[in-house]
Amino acid sequence: MRSDMLTAILNELNGTSADIEASGVISTDGLMMASALPADMDEDRVGAMSAAMLSLGDRTAQELARGGLEQVLIKGSTGYVLMTHAGDEAVLTVLAKPNAKLGLIFLDVKRASASISEMI
Amino acid sequence: MTHDFEKLTQYAKSFTGLTEEYELLLKEVGPEIIPNLKSVTENFYAQLSLIPETKSYLEGRIESLQAMHTQWLEGLFTNDFDTGYTESMYRVGDVHVKVHLPVEFMSGGMTLINNQLIPLVVGLFHSDSEKCTKVLSAINAATGFSLLTMQQSYQEASIAEELEKFLKISGMSKVLFSNLAAAYKD
Repeated sequence: MRSDMLTAILNELNGTSADIEASGVISTDGLMMASALPADMDEDRVGAMSAAMLSLGDRTAQELARGGLEQVLIKGSTGYVLMTHAGDEAVLTVLAKPNAKLGLIFLDVKRASASISEMI
Repeated sequence: MTHDFEKLTQYAKSFTGLTEEYELLLKEVGPEIIPNLKSVTENFYAQLSLIPETKSYLEGRIESLQAMHTQWLEGLFTNDFDTGYTESMYRVGDVHVKVHLPVEFMSGGMTLINNQLIPLVVGLFHSDSEKCTKVLSAINAATGFSLLTMQQSYQEASIAEELEKFLKISGMSKVLFSNLAAAYKD
């Protein structure tokens, strides 16, 4: 039931912008809770890698005195990966196109992570 | 972490050539060799104390180390090289890791020990060259077996120690690391 509600939030998020290609909610242990990913994408890998990156981002922000972590953004030649906390126990990961308008995506992701946090 | 010491025992025997015949031979010559092992140990530690890198590990504990070392050397000529022995050597390797002993100290140390044992064996058995050769080969196999099993633990413990450090630095939990590893096991 909760998984369905999380999936609904992700579907809504993916629908807000054509630039968002995929998204997932992952536990901080790296396990997928809900996802809206393309069929050829491995859920386990997306989940574990996202949680690991966010954990490393947390530590980096802390070590380099940048305050509490807000997001981790990775830019590759074919797109972006954006990871952010969704409450204390989950990670929201979004995959976006290379020409995505990041300002809008940041806003939508922030709203979605707040909804996920309330639900979890 | 659980270990298959039977498998490690067979693995170490296959590498070192420690056969049942050699094990019996070591027990047979033990009564002649054991009385000389205290001086082998003393010479071994005397040599270690001349190496600047090893000296600091010995200060203030040479007597207790010598006692343990002599006991281990005697065991080469009395023990069965079974899973119990393998496990005990594995634990010795663990202890070496915990005191941050550099890995080369074990192979270097074993070389020094063999250097001491060779003239001792030749002195005792020179009149029977065939037996002398067999005893030397058996000792080489036994010390090689001990080194291999110790180093196996050393390698695993070193990796575990590095992993602990990585998890601490990265902030990753062990569960997350396991999930990450499981996701990439293929």
